[in-house]
Formats: sequence, structure tokens, C-alpha cells
Amino acid sequence: MLVAIAFLVVVILISTAIGPADLSLSTVVEVLLSHLPLLHLHSSVSALDQAIVWQIRLPRVVLAVLVGSMLALGGASYQGVFRNPLADPYLLGVAAGAGLGATIAIVTPSGFSEFLPLAAFLGGVVAVALTYLTGAKASGHSSGPSIILAGVAVAAIFTAIQTNIQQQHAADLQPVYSWILGSLSVATWSDVTLILPYVVLSAAILLAHRRLLDVLRLGEEEAMTLGVNPNRVRLVVVAAATMGTAAAVSVSGLIGFVGIIVPHLVRLTANASYRVVLPVSLVSGASFLVLADLCARMVDAPGEVPLGVVTAFIGGPFFIFVLRSRRSHQGVL
Amino acid sequence: MRFIRTGLSVMVLLTGGLVWSGASASGAATTDVSHFPVKVKTSMGTVTITSRPHAIVSLSATATEMLYAIGAGGQVKAVDKYSNYPTNAPITSLNGFSVSAEAIAKYKPDLVIVSYEPASFGAQMAKLKIPVIYDPAAPTLAVAYQQYLGLGEATGHVQQAVNEVQKLKSTIAGIVRSTPRVAPGTTYYWELDPTYYSVTSSTFMGQLMSLLGLKSIADAVGVNSNGGYPQLNSEFILKANPSYIFLADSKCCHASASTVASRPGWSVMSAVATRRILKLDDDIASRWGPRITILLRQVADFLKSQKG
Amino acid sequence: MVDDDVTSSDLVRGQIELHDVLVHYHDSVALNSVTHRVDFGEWLGLIGANGAGKSTLLRAIARLVGYQGSIRIHGCETRSMHRREFARLVAYVPQNPQFPAQMRAIDYVALGRTPYQGYFGAESEHDRERCAALLARLGMSHLILRPLSTMSGGELQRLVLSRALAQEAPILLLDEPTSAMDLGRRVEALELVDELRVERQLTVVSTLHDLTLAAQFVDRVLLLAKGSVVADGVPDVVLIEESLNQHFDVKVEILRSTDNGIVVVPRRSRKKVHHD
Repeated sequence: MLVAIAFLVVVILISTAIGPADLSLSTVVEVLLSHLPLLHLHSSVSALDQAIVWQIRLPRVVLAVLVGSMLALGGASYQGVFRNPLADPYLLGVAAGAGLGATIAIVTPSGFSEFLPLAAFLGGVVAVALTYLTGAKASGHSSGPSIILAGVAVAAIFTAIQTNIQQQHAADLQPVYSWILGSLSVATWSDVTLILPYVVLSAAILLAHRRLLDVLRLGEEEAMTLGVNPNRVRLVVVAAATMGTAAAVSVSGLIGFVGIIVPHLVRLTANASYRVVLPVSLVSGASFLVLADLCARMVDAPGEVPLGVVTAFIGGPFFIFVLRSRRSHQGVL
Repeated sequence: MRFIRTGLSVMVLLTGGLVWSGASASGAATTDVSHFPVKVKTSMGTVTITSRPHAIVSLSATATEMLYAIGAGGQVKAVDKYSNYPTNAPITSLNGFSVSAEAIAKYKPDLVIVSYEPASFGAQMAKLKIPVIYDPAAPTLAVAYQQYLGLGEATGHVQQAVNEVQKLKSTIAGIVRSTPRVAPGTTYYWELDPTYYSVTSSTFMGQLMSLLGLKSIADAVGVNSNGGYPQLNSEFILKANPSYIFLADSKCCHASASTVASRPGWSVMSAVATRRILKLDDDIASRWGPRITILLRQVADFLKSQKG
Repeated sequence: MVDDDVTSSDLVRGQIELHDVLVHYHDSVALNSVTHRVDFGEWLGLIGANGAGKSTLLRAIARLVGYQGSIRIHGCETRSMHRREFARLVAYVPQNPQFPAQMRAIDYVALGRTPYQGYFGAESEHDRERCAALLARLGMSHLILRPLSTMSGGELQRLVLSRALAQEAPILLLDEPTSAMDLGRRVEALELVDELRVERQLTVVSTLHDLTLAAQFVDRVLLLAKGSVVADGVPDVVLIEESLNQHFDVKVEILRSTDNGIVVVPRRSRKKVHHD
């Protein structure tokens, strides 16, 4: 855990120091220092460089921290609830729902795009609520295949509607695609403050349940005889993970892979207990996305590479590497 | 509607690039009556048009504007929903980016013009014996002129097409001539959407701006990056500090001088401070048809007003 | 956290009273009007053929199946107890427990402390020490940090017992605790349960297939058939040929070992064919 936190701090510092605008390290440090509340430092840095560091680069790094930690934590929580290593934060239709919401916001001609985050958030929450209601009703309890199948069905329906709307508004294809691929390129402090309460609340609830997710792994009956109501735990965890994930994707778009790869890396390298996996995933997810976003900014600088492409591109091979090297001396999951 | 860009990005996304071989006038101008049958070369191969078409379906907003400009408007039977100019064009709910052979056949066309061609569309139309001209987004002015001439051939308005091209050429030359040269190194940021997609100097619009001596800041990414339409990093835009900002997303996304100024950090840019921000018509700024002169004049006038 | 003194005080010593307990799945009756009383510190063995209702009875006590009638522990109706309160009174070990492969032994055993933690709580250092002490008591100190996937069947059996004991509940319910073990491990496991029962003054209710072993360990036997209690008493009284023949639908012979223990021997019904 300490290692993970130390790594995150280093990654954040590097990522704040480097950018396509080629500012010197001393400039960056000076800008940061000048914004410390107690220090009334009059910096000699130009207004332009100030703005670049404080208004553009820093909110982007902070947003990457929030989104990355939320996606990884959400993924780990979903994996715990459904006791399925392939569960990702988009399993129950958050992505499809948010995609539909975002698409509607983008194609609505009346300048509705300012409400894109809200529309994406609502779309994601509605989709998961539908999945949960239909899936839990079908099986009488809230885990196992029927809810996952319900998630697949709801996602298919939402995606179909979304694709149809998108086809009808081909002129808006580019923004819709950009959003689906995920990006932090237009991050601002207002995005940060927009999602911060949701992410903090969601993360607090999920972290508080880290032990109960381990109890769920003992199975339905043992959980009950340990004084735990499995259905309630699942409902609370899914609700919290959905809220946080929907908030994250509402400003970042559909960044894939973080929610699966980060918890698995943590499991493989640290400890398989959710008491450890959850907090370490939170921190490592942040590091992962900050690094990925650094690549998105720098690989084709001053152009941008879609963040979702970067996460899959560096995440995939790295994951395969860890999987292979670990497999030899212990089973996976 | 941002047509060139979305047209291009659709094609880049869906077909992975495009090659334009050009419609070219196959011979000297002939009289309209004895003109047919005529072979018109297009990027889908040579299209034979047996008689003067009188039921043209245009699924390309730019082609629609061109057809009306060369006097073939009366032969147009249906245009797609993005063909919003000229306003008397017979607009329908057809979607140029999601074409259905059957929906088009309903109009019993004797010529179909597209700017985006999904796989097997040509084969389907061939089975229906409907000739198709594929005029994708023009990468250069020369190609746009060729498209005019090709459409003139195909519709029997060869001379008007030649005249229209002449008119465009002289208008553009006139605008360029009457505009004082900007200082070397004058740059611009052309905004296609609020996520900072832009154009490089190698694109159609970039070339028009080059005529006025302007250079795109997006060239730093490489002029051919993402087909000339790269997404820019916002701290780079600030650092590049362009002399001018052109907003080609004013209709779609309500971008304006004040929305740009209110973006965090952007107010420090000199173009924002000196209000050197020009709102363009999204549609005009994304088509390679007759209205490019309007766009060019708008930019030229803006440059002049900033000098004076 | 609950103080030691409370859990070990006589207030919560287990005594189970079943009155007219009826369980049915859809339209078939699984348990028919069972009335019985389990005394403090007693080991009650539930025996009977497959489908007789042994596990159902155990699960009804554990509140895992719905039932009609009344089940009281120390005078309190169990179904009206709070989940966590109940979990501090009754620990349950299922027949096939699930072992999260990559979890470490200590983390697994510590899950037994769940009823003592707040909904959002985490186990304290004190909890961990207790669990470590339990593992030491069960001879597994050296395995504390090992992942479960690397353990043998016998080690896992002791681990699940440790997990249940970590609940510090005065009543221990065991569903077929020896089903998947070889002869030696069976005796070992039951001896361990017996030792712990005496040491911690536990009341134990378990289903058991092996009647010979049951006779050696349990204080009292309940023979169930088709959901009803057909015999009840000390092993010597219940384990008689006539009743076993009838309710297990097989011919058995009861022998006596050298120390006068009961040995139940099932016999094949047809003669062995000799191939010469």
C-alpha cells in the first residue's frame, strides 16, 4: 500500500512536470508554489505559463486521479459482488447507458452539450437500475448469471438505441466517437469539482465494504450465518460503484480496461483479499490513468491520442506479461 | 453541420482512408443535346450516363450546392437531409451517411451522387442500373474544380461548369489580391469542435487559409496527422498562442468569442485578449462547394478589419 | 467489540429448543413437526438416510431455511433476533465450504469475526491476535500467511473450523464435518471438535453419516426418517438393528468392539458370487 501511494505521488509529479507546452521544471514548481494558500509568493512566471500549469495541466492530472481510482475501485467491487474475475465496472450497462445519454446530449441541437455529464450520468444510472431490477427479479437474488445476462441485454438495447441515434446524426459522429474512446483533453477544475463529491462518497462506501466483499466470497449461506445480508451488501456496493463510475465516465468518456486490469494486477502482485485489493486498486488505478493520460498527451504531441486507446495499448501487453510470469508459481484466482 | 470534417472523419473511421481519382471532363465541351451518352470518370471507375439525367438524387450537401451553381438544379429530384443549401433544394430524410439502396430507388433516380460510399453500395446500384458518381471530400481546390467539371459532364451543363470554375478562380484570386499580406508567421487555430479537433495547412480549408498567408498551429503535429484533422492538446494551443482563432463549431456547439474566453486559462491568449476570434458558419466551413468564396471573403475582411 | 466476559458468561450458554418445527419445499414436507431440546454442552448427532431431513433441521436452526413452529435459543425466538446477534450465538459449517483460493489463512479465519464488527468496520489488531491464537491452537501457526489454494483437505477442514470458532458462538452446527475425509482424518477431526467442545463449553449439533463414529463421539442421537424424528436417545438406545434396518433400508449388524463400543456394519443383500 505504501509502495502504491509513493508510486502515485511520483507519477503525479512527473505528469505535472511534463506536457506538450515544454515548460521548465522551475516554472512548474513556481506556479504550484504560488497557489499554496499560505505562501504569498509573487511569481515571475508569465500569465500564459501560469494558465497552462494551473488551468490546463493540473486539472487534467487531478481528473485522471479521480477517474482512474474510481474505475479501478468500481471494477474491483463489481468483481467482488459477482464473484467473477471478468466483471468490469461497465458490466451492468453503465457504459451503454452513459453512451446513450452522452449521444443524446451531443446530437440535441439546443446547446444541450453543456449537460453532457449530467445526461451521461443519468443514462448510466438508469441502465444499471434497469439491469438490477430485471435481473434480481428473474433469479430472486442478486448475483450470478441472471443479473449479468440482464446487464448484457440492457447494454445491447441501450447500445442499439445509441447507434441508431448516432446514425441519424452522422454529422455528430466525431464527438460521439471521441466521447466513446474516452479523453481528458478538455479537463477543467469545474469537472473536478463536479465529480469529486460522487467519487469521494462512492469510494468511501466501497472501501467500507471491503471486508464484506471477502465475506461474500464464502458463499451465500456462510455469509448469512456470519450475520451479513448478502443481498443488501450487493445492492449497496453496486449502487455505490455505479454512482461513482457513472460520475467518472460522465466527464472522461468510456475509458476501458482500467477496471479490469488494475484490480487483477493488484491481486497478482499484492494479496487476494478485498481488504487489500480495494484500497490498493484505488491508488494504483489513479497511477495507471495518470500515466496513460501522460502518454495520450505526449506520444503524438502536440496532438492527442484517445485515452481509451492508450489504456488498452499499454495495459494489454503489460497485463499479459504479468499473467504469464505469475502463472508459473501460483494459480490465477 | 460540419460536413467536410465529419464527412472525412466518417470515411477515415469507416473505410480507413480514401483515394480520390477524380471525375474529369472526358472531352471538349459539347452542346448539351448531342452530349449523351457520356462517360464520366469517377473514383469508382468510369460511369456511363446514357441520357440527360432528369431525376438526380444527391446525397452530398456539397454536390447539391455545386449542381445548383452549374444550373442543374432543375434536374435534382431529391437531396439528403444535410443538403440545406440552396434552400429550394428538394430536401428529404435520406441520410448521406447511412444510405439504403432501396430508399434511394424509391425516387427512381437516373443519377445518384454521394460523398460517402459504404461497401457494396456501388454494386447494389449497378444491379439497379443507376449510375453513381462518388465525389468525396476534395483534398484540394483543383480536385473541387474537377468535381464541378465532372458534374457538368454528367448533367449536360459542361459550359456552365467551366464558367463556374473560372468564376471561382477569379473571385479567389481577387480576394487574395485585395487582402494586404499578413506578417510572416501569423498563425491561426481552427476549431472544429469543443474537444480541440483542428485542421492542418494540408487540408482543404488549411490551403484556403494559406492563400491569405496564414499558418495553422496544428501543423506542429505533422500536417498529415489524423488525415490533417488532429486533436490538439489544450496546453499546446495556449502555448502556441495563435494570432487568430476561427470557430467552425459555432452552430453545432455554440462556440463564440465569449465561450472561448470563458474557458479556464484561455483568457491569457493574445487572440482572446484582442478579440481576434472569428465565428464561421459550420456548414460553409466544412464544404468544398461554391460558397468557399464567402468563407474566404469573411476571413479576408476580418484580417483587414484587424489591421485597420 | 464484545467483551470476553459476556460471551463466556452463562447468559448466552446454548440451549436449543425446537417446538413443532415444520419445513416444506414447495409441496413436499422436508421436516414434519420436530420437537426436541438440546442441552448445554451436549453433542447432538443427527442421523438418517439421505433425504430424511438431517441437513434441513440443521439449516433451520441456522436460519438458512424458512420454517413454521418455534426455535428458541436460551429462551429467545431465533427468527426475531438480529442477524449479528444470532451470528454471535450460532456458528455454522456447511458440508462444502467455499475457500477463496488466493486468500491467506489468517484473512480467512478473521472473517469469523464479522459479527463483532460494525457494518463498515474492520477487524482490529485484537481480532487478528485471537485468530492467530486459534490457528496456533489448531496446530496451524506455520500456515498463517499461506494462501488457501496451497492447503490440503485436512488443513482446510481445520481452517473452516477455526473460522467458525472465531465467531466465539456457544453453539456450533456442523453439516457432515467428515464427509470428504479418509478414515484417519475423520477421527482426527471429530476428536478436535470434541476437545474444543469441552475446552470452550460448546453445544454441538452435527449431521453424521458414519454411525460407528457417531456412536463414539455424540452424547445423543436423533434418528430422522421422512422428516420426522423416529428415535431419540443415547447411541446405545437408538443404534439398534431393527430401527436402522427399517429406516436406512438396508440390513445392518450391530457388533461390539473390544471396549464395548458400537460398530455398525451394513451387509450386502445378495450373496457374493465366486468366480473360480
